[in-house]
Amino acid sequence: MGEVRDALAQARLEAQAANAELLERWEEINLLYSIGDILGRTLDLSDAARTILAAISDTVGAGRGGIFVYEQSSGLLRPLTVQGVDAKLVAPVAVDDASSLVARTYRARHAMLESSVPGDTSDLALRRGPVLAVPVMWKSPQDGPVALGVVLLSDKRSDMGFTASDEKLVSAIAAQIGTAIQIEGLVRASVAQQRLAHEMQLAHELQMRLLPATTVVSPEASCAARVAPAQSVGGDFYHLFRLADGRTGVLIGDVSSHGYQAALIMALTMSAMAIHAQATVDPAVAVQALYASLADELRQTEMFLSLCYVVVDPAARTVCYTNTGHPHAFIVAADGTVQRLDATDPPLGLGGDAPHSAVLPWTPGSDLLVLFTDGISDARDDAGVALGEARVLDVVRARRHDAPARVVDGVFSLLEGHMSGMAPADDQAIVVLRS
Amino acid sequence: MSFSVSQHGDVAIIDVEGQLVVSNRQELKQRVLDEVDKGTTKVLVDFAHAGYIDSSGLGVLVSLAKRIRETGGDLRLANLNEDLQTLFELTKLDTLFQISETRDGALASF
Repeated sequence: MGEVRDALAQARLEAQAANAELLERWEEINLLYSIGDILGRTLDLSDAARTILAAISDTVGAGRGGIFVYEQSSGLLRPLTVQGVDAKLVAPVAVDDASSLVARTYRARHAMLESSVPGDTSDLALRRGPVLAVPVMWKSPQDGPVALGVVLLSDKRSDMGFTASDEKLVSAIAAQIGTAIQIEGLVRASVAQQRLAHEMQLAHELQMRLLPATTVVSPEASCAARVAPAQSVGGDFYHLFRLADGRTGVLIGDVSSHGYQAALIMALTMSAMAIHAQATVDPAVAVQALYASLADELRQTEMFLSLCYVVVDPAARTVCYTNTGHPHAFIVAADGTVQRLDATDPPLGLGGDAPHSAVLPWTPGSDLLVLFTDGISDARDDAGVALGEARVLDVVRARRHDAPARVVDGVFSLLEGHMSGMAPADDQAIVVLRS
Repeated sequence: MSFSVSQHGDVAIIDVEGQLVVSNRQELKQRVLDEVDKGTTKVLVDFAHAGYIDSSGLGVLVSLAKRIRETGGDLRLANLNEDLQTLFELTKLDTLFQISETRDGALASF
């Protein structure tokens, strides 16, 4: 019985000691749990950092503190939040600042304790008495441990200074902060990427809306067209104009670049040509006026514009055109012969003389006007072989008696088969018209 | 695809290998402008080992030619294969560049 009583007494003593230790560590354990909770509930890192720093300072008894985060673009450790001093007094710290304990801890990537404040430190505003600085670390799956920032605490309320236990606690919290910083960065990048993708999609839709419906030239002409930009926005385009006396104006263009700058030139061309095409039936005059509208923009952007503007006149049985360096412009006759609309001038934007025009015969109701850009004929297969103009024209010839929409479908089927799912390297546009 | 630069007298020669397209046009531009910054006013672009130029590539050649002509110099072309020669003719760019069949011919033309 005596042995049992002793064992019970011993167990009671151990339980009391464990209870006492648990009570002593309760605040720390509670802090670790609550920080996990704070970080789990918020995506605003600054708010979370403020709450966490207040909790840490309270637990370890620090009157002043700050959390600094490294900013790669500037090479500075910027204060995310500070405690116990006016935030305006705490400046960002250069990562190579030799006097700053924040910078030294960041570079050393381990905790540092200092018992006195050197006179010339740039962390002066945050420091009073003993100081504890702990790096905020994150374990990258690829690169191992990476330092993201520093937690600095000072103005310890007890005379003991910071203990090894404080250091362990703050290090554990700093690791959680590190993960939160990393997650916040990933979330921000992801949101920015989504926003960019959304904006590019809007730009694509806007650009596609600038292209006219092919029915604008009916009933005088039947027309089909398609534009497929290589990026969300591109520099290939077409325009259609219903002109006086049964004439139809057809424009195809290729700006010498891709992306938003090319799209801007395209939009300017579309709007300027809408004005100039209605003022004259002479393509050279319209294109000269167009160039006058675009010259400054082309010069500033170092771009040029190859285009072919054709005025089809069924009553006169002619087409009159101006071609500024556009290689793929053809009339395909009912008997299958193909007539190229040779360039009359080099591309717009290269200086030189006023554009010229040329006239070719046209058989109303049977001839097909076929204009396409080099993104179609130069499209590569997976072995790098170009589709080639001849194969495009073979498809057009085979469907020359069909409606223009069937011709466009045929060319794009050929193109898609050739590219077998590969993304186009260049914008692709085609217009087919019968009148 | 790459570009190599050599000097022949006062002419900087840029050899284009492979293609001159949207993805490498800026590199060509920079290589030529580096030569211009050194004071070169005569530039020859040799396409003996190039098979294809897209519209962006044509754009950069035109832009460089304009830039060099503004300084009193010239950019000339040599060794275009049949397809490239046709491309320059179809786009009327052959009216804007002095094009030689051979490198020696181009060098002699400066």
